[in-house]
Amino acid sequence: MATGSRWTARLAIMLVAGTLAASAFAQTAGEVLLYGKTDPGARSGGRLTIGSLTEPPAMDPYHQAADARIRVTVLSYQGLFYESASGEAIPLLAESFTVSPDGLTYTIKLRQGVKFHTGQTMSAEDVKYSYDYLRDPKNGSPGAGDFSTVQTIDAPDAQTVVFRLSSRNGLLPITLTHRYGGVIPKDYFATPDARARLNQQSVGTGPFKLKQFRQNSVLVFEKFQDYWQKGLPHLEEVTFAFMPNSAAMVVAARSGRVDMGIFTRPQDAEQLTSTAGLKLVRTPSMNQKSIDLGSEHPILKDERVRQAIALAVDKEAVMKASISGYGQVLGTMVAGMQARWGLPLSEVPNQKVDLGRARRLLAEAGHPNGFEIDLTTIITYDWMDAAAVLIAEQLKQIGIRVNIKKVELGVWVRNFQSKQMGFTFNDWPSSPDPSLLFYRHFRATPMGADFRNWNNAQASALLDRGREESDYAKRREIYNEFQKMLASSVPTIMMFSSDLLAVERDRVRNHQQHPTGWYFGVVKTWVAN
Amino acid sequence: MLRFLLPRLASAALAALVSSLVVFVLMRSVPGDIVGQMLGQTIDPTASAALRTFFGLDQAMHTQFVDWLARVLQGDLGRSWYQGQAVTRMISEAFTVTLQIALLTLVLATLIGVPLGVIAGIYEGRRLDAAIQAFNLIGLSAPVFWVGLMLLVGTSAFFNWSPPFAWRSPSEDLADNLAIVLLPVLSLAVLQAAAYSHFVRECMVGELRRDHVRAAFAKGLSPAQVYFKHALRNILIPLVTFMGMILIQILGGTVVIESLFSLPGLGRLILSGIQGRDYPVVQGALLFVVLIAISVNLAVDALYGLIDPRLRR
Repeated sequence: MATGSRWTARLAIMLVAGTLAASAFAQTAGEVLLYGKTDPGARSGGRLTIGSLTEPPAMDPYHQAADARIRVTVLSYQGLFYESASGEAIPLLAESFTVSPDGLTYTIKLRQGVKFHTGQTMSAEDVKYSYDYLRDPKNGSPGAGDFSTVQTIDAPDAQTVVFRLSSRNGLLPITLTHRYGGVIPKDYFATPDARARLNQQSVGTGPFKLKQFRQNSVLVFEKFQDYWQKGLPHLEEVTFAFMPNSAAMVVAARSGRVDMGIFTRPQDAEQLTSTAGLKLVRTPSMNQKSIDLGSEHPILKDERVRQAIALAVDKEAVMKASISGYGQVLGTMVAGMQARWGLPLSEVPNQKVDLGRARRLLAEAGHPNGFEIDLTTIITYDWMDAAAVLIAEQLKQIGIRVNIKKVELGVWVRNFQSKQMGFTFNDWPSSPDPSLLFYRHFRATPMGADFRNWNNAQASALLDRGREESDYAKRREIYNEFQKMLASSVPTIMMFSSDLLAVERDRVRNHQQHPTGWYFGVVKTWVAN
Repeated sequence: MLRFLLPRLASAALAALVSSLVVFVLMRSVPGDIVGQMLGQTIDPTASAALRTFFGLDQAMHTQFVDWLARVLQGDLGRSWYQGQAVTRMISEAFTVTLQIALLTLVLATLIGVPLGVIAGIYEGRRLDAAIQAFNLIGLSAPVFWVGLMLLVGTSAFFNWSPPFAWRSPSEDLADNLAIVLLPVLSLAVLQAAAYSHFVRECMVGELRRDHVRAAFAKGLSPAQVYFKHALRNILIPLVTFMGMILIQILGGTVVIESLFSLPGLGRLILSGIQGRDYPVVQGALLFVVLIAISVNLAVDALYGLIDPRLRR
């Protein structure tokens, strides 16, 4: 952690000065942190089997937004930077970078001797091709929107890539991480059946190569022998076993068919804590379980109604009821980023239950006797069922009568994308940066998507400034101000982050879960025999 | 033969066409599509339009249907929008899993259910009959899902054993394959054996009261000869019909069992296709299911002729 923050401080100074050549120290410090902490006692070899309740729909990092896809493709594909657990962008396929004084030109030196799974050596042309493909909306990638400020990408020589921006964008490095895309060989998508072939063969530079993907069954990765980080990964093979239900997973973990099970419901994981040789590991995450309040709704468009709802919701009680307390109550920042970016919980408005004020606000808004409203929950999201019942009880106290409406995920996504969210639960993950967390969701159109029709000009201005600024202290101030606005105007109620739950066998060593829930930690995991 | 086949084939083709059309329209009426799922939180109109064109979703619905049908008639079910694999190949891989489960279940259920039913019929009204009827009642009323779950949790608790999770076909690894299918087949077979036993008992009881059976006894034939030659033979026709129905029922029942035991069968293929809005997979797989149901019925009809020569005319 100490090296991490020193690196951050350096990064900030370097960016402000606008001239930099990353020092040898910074690189080493960064490299040590790539994929989590290094275990000096790690041994190489062996296989690891991980039970997973979610399955990627496909293995294409360019055209699949599903979080279940990102979790596993981070093992095969790499960006220019790595998003550390604490939210910094550490050079990965990049070796160092400089920013011009006006903040509009990023010159990135690439790491040498990086090989693709196809055997070719990575060059600047490949990097240019990859990011040009990703950012062109005509190619239909969900990541295109993150690159709206990028004007051109050039490759002046084999080891240098230059990004030119139309306006300052301090989070370019964190954008060049792993959510979408990754560096692949030039012109890959021009080859026949390119998208489909990604399900059989990986073409990235990551530590693991795809060996087999059998839908509704298993996903197998094998060690990439020519991987550029010497000595990594430790494991020869990693198998993900897809379990359609938690009963099968509990049984598989108990009988030793899987070495590790990633659970979503604490009550399932708890069944295994008494089994010898198994331990439950909790990691704070970057997901959020929230209630969204869309302003297109005739009642919810009144800010006072939204505030009243916020004042009636007891987050702690909802968390206990829905995930047995295996999580962290939130203010306006996800748990994994609270320390670095969160407004201190004591300063967040509208967090303490205050039924008196809530009733007064409702009366002022013209609903002295409350009103009736549909609360949408999503089928298969178990936590929402318990939470909905409790929220209905809590809101009844201020006269709001809640009808619980269950919808299928596809239906919910359609409503979300067409900005007809109404009053709904939401469950979403984040990349480790406040701009990546907030911008698309809360920035007014056309720059953002503003799913909740919040249309808040002040908040939008803050989000724009936060994106342009690259100084950490200043950014923190901007986002603190934004969070105050979010909590007082209540387009959303961020309730809690559920912890990531892994049940591990004794032989599994040094597995550190990344707060995103993506399987970065497997790179430095090893097994004892 | 032609007179037997032609009308049946014509109605089969019509059934397949109508059901395909219904599936096609239904899938597209369900809110949300693959583009929404692929883009997640992104709502960039250019990206969305590009993907719609890529999948042909920008075409009018009837154009899409005619295109799909034209390719189906040439034996091409298209490719999965997610996996990129040929749908025919995905179906055949998934169906071998489901078929193995279904056939083993059918064999096991027949081996258990038919003798039980015969015995219950012979011992009608006595204690053995009551015991078998109790088994039937339990088997018929226990949901497959519950039986499967109990077997799974039970074997884990008592033997600290659970089936391997990665599917292996019998040719890949027979021991693993049998270990994988053991519990699913058992859970399905319990239910079907009960259904069988119940059905056979009813037939047997009815048959044993008929005149020719009494006459056979009066003639002095041994009970074994009477039961097997005179009674059992007559219930073969209803039994074959029943087997066909059971087979179709098992094929349907595997959806639940495949989900419970992580088997990559046809049911889960269809389910994940529906969830992901993978239209080619859903349309192809459901068309296949319809064809299977039709062929089983045809086969049953044809079998009648073999068993009972009077029906050949």
